[in-house]
Amino acid sequence: MTDAPAQRTATAEFWLGVRHELPLQLGVIPFGLVFGILGLASGLTSLQTILLSSILFGGASQVVFAQLWAAGVPPLIVGGSVSVVNLRHVLYSASMAQYLAHLPLRWRILLGYLLTDEAYAVSIKRFQDGPKTRYQHYHLLGSGMTLWVAWQISTLVGVIAGTTIPESWSLSFAIPLTFIALVAPSIRRRADLVACVVAAVLSLICQPLPWKSWIIISALGGIAAGWMTHYHTSKNTPTDKNPRPR
Amino acid sequence: MIWLVMVMTGIFTFGTRFVMLTGWVARGLPKWLIDALGFVPIAVLTAIIVPAVLIDPATEQIIVTHNARLYAAIIATIVALLTRNVIATISSGLATLWVLQWWL
Repeated sequence: MTDAPAQRTATAEFWLGVRHELPLQLGVIPFGLVFGILGLASGLTSLQTILLSSILFGGASQVVFAQLWAAGVPPLIVGGSVSVVNLRHVLYSASMAQYLAHLPLRWRILLGYLLTDEAYAVSIKRFQDGPKTRYQHYHLLGSGMTLWVAWQISTLVGVIAGTTIPESWSLSFAIPLTFIALVAPSIRRRADLVACVVAAVLSLICQPLPWKSWIIISALGGIAAGWMTHYHTSKNTPTDKNPRPR
Repeated sequence: MIWLVMVMTGIFTFGTRFVMLTGWVARGLPKWLIDALGFVPIAVLTAIIVPAVLIDPATEQIIVTHNARLYAAIIATIVALLTRNVIATISSGLATLWVLQWWL
């Protein structure tokens, strides 16, 4: 991004987004494959598994959806749990707003749909650090579409290959492993650790509760505990206002 | 019914991505809400990880000793902290699991 001209064309921005997004597909494609396998194993049909990847378009929420649906959880609890998992997107939406708010509605709808963790990660960096250009939103289109295509294809391949992969490979364990890769490095403050530990403990002790409601309870409990710790710590140490570098 | 739930949660999820682009929330989000939402990934993902590692799918009991998935998860956590690399984390965890399952 350093040698960028002041005005890039829409095509140049688009391909820059694609190029920035491509390396992340190393983590996305195996996850998509495993989701395809897991969807079928959970009792969803091929069509349901494949369409879930474009209707929900969010890995963690799709896993929760498949697991809860397989367990015969009431629809309202499925919807509620999946929705809590996806609440974080409001943050992405909020921080993207200043760069996208001026666009026509059809653009905001399309880019909103494509606003996932991975596309947000690369495009917000480009918006913040790169030159302000007229067509910079094409960067998010490029990164978002790259992820979308990779996610759909890998889900499809997972669905097709799913039946041929033996159970003993324990490939579904790749899902918690992917989440470990995301969570472990993100624990930086004491409040993060508290959120993690409280969610962990609740997810175990709430297992006997009906409808797999431990997912939503431990998620909300972890969020509340982290937030209260954060609030308490920041109130007691008003001088420490600078966020820690990543 | 499943299609209805899929479409409803899909619409909600789109809503979480689109809501701040609508311009309806002109002043942005209050700070306490931004702080709270920042804990969503850690809390949600931990709640998925921990039972997947510790609960035995057959008996639905917590197992700690002789649990290959627990050792695999510990190795993966160490690799994740050291490398911050998704592929390295997944492959080290799966490799540990396979070794423990097949050779022990």
